[in-house]
Amino acid sequence: MKPTKFSSIISTFIFCYLLWILFTWTFTTQELLAGAVVSLLVATLVSRFFIHENAFHLFNPAKFINLILYVFVFLKELWKANVDVAKRALNPNLPVNPGIVKVPVNLESEYGMAMLANSITLTPGTITMEIVEENGKNYYYIHWIDVAETNREKAGEAIKGTLENWIRRIWK
Amino acid sequence: MIYVAYIFMIIGCFFAFAGTVGVLRMPDSYCRMQSSTNIATLGTLGALLGGFLFALTLKNTSMAIKILFIAIFIIITNPVAGHAICKAAYKSGVKADNLTCDDYGRDFPNE
Amino acid sequence: MNSLIFVSIFYIILSIILLYRVLKGPNVVDRVVAADSIDLLTVVALVLFSVYSKRGIYLDIALTLAILGFIGTLLISKYLEGKL
Repeated sequence: MKPTKFSSIISTFIFCYLLWILFTWTFTTQELLAGAVVSLLVATLVSRFFIHENAFHLFNPAKFINLILYVFVFLKELWKANVDVAKRALNPNLPVNPGIVKVPVNLESEYGMAMLANSITLTPGTITMEIVEENGKNYYYIHWIDVAETNREKAGEAIKGTLENWIRRIWK
Repeated sequence: MIYVAYIFMIIGCFFAFAGTVGVLRMPDSYCRMQSSTNIATLGTLGALLGGFLFALTLKNTSMAIKILFIAIFIIITNPVAGHAICKAAYKSGVKADNLTCDDYGRDFPNE
Repeated sequence: MNSLIFVSIFYIILSIILLYRVLKGPNVVDRVVAADSIDLLTVVALVLFSVYSKRGIYLDIALTLAILGFIGTLLISKYLEGKL
């Protein structure tokens, strides 16, 4: 479904207004009214940068619950990677083995690809450098602090883990 | 509740310390970047969650929600800066010594 | 309650140690990464001090500092890439 102008403005407006209410945390009438005016102004100006696909995708409850569950899965991965890099930094021998590997990615949606790239960058030990498209398939270039596999498929398994399957439940 | 906040703060202190040692000791620029991610994720997230629980025990809800927003903001924006600075380092010609494999340099040899 | 101030002093000491990498770092990228880390550590110290002194104004300063550090890093990296 292509986004129309109106639906993307409504979606951005709801997001901004929720953020305003949570951030000010006062419930007097003039605060709420000022927030509505500012959110509408911001939504009309920036909605064409903010929404690229179906505007009400995340308002589906099943997708939203998957997003909440994804946060906990991601925190577990984050803990494991953090302990690993901290051990490497505090080890007297400094055991690093860096390299840049090319890894295929099996997602279609732009939001999904951006979310996977950000999750990979946020786990210490891996940084996504660039996304390229070749023959209809997308590839990441990833700088990896400890290259265990140079084969593309196996390196993808080792880096992405279960994150990709969780993201596919949220954004196709 | 307050002891949980202490545990979170100690976790944050430990990872921030490990990240700082990594930034000082790692051999080349890219590995230093990896270590600085260590500061940016659990180093800040641990202490901010500790502060969040502390503000909740003081019955100060607006402050707690603002702290949570700062944590979410750091988590969202930090990887963007990470991609940008890593790609800029490669394109401006910062050398990485003893790479095991370099697929990017093989595919784009003139950058 | 005093533990908050001890933790924020610890973070400030870590950021002073990181200044060594800003001063010495062999190239620009090292300096930018270390400065970004210092920025994040300062944000955490401000948040903890705000909880300690029970004044919400420091939280707004911390949020602004986080936004400015992010924009600065992005700007310098775009400049190094040659697209500015």
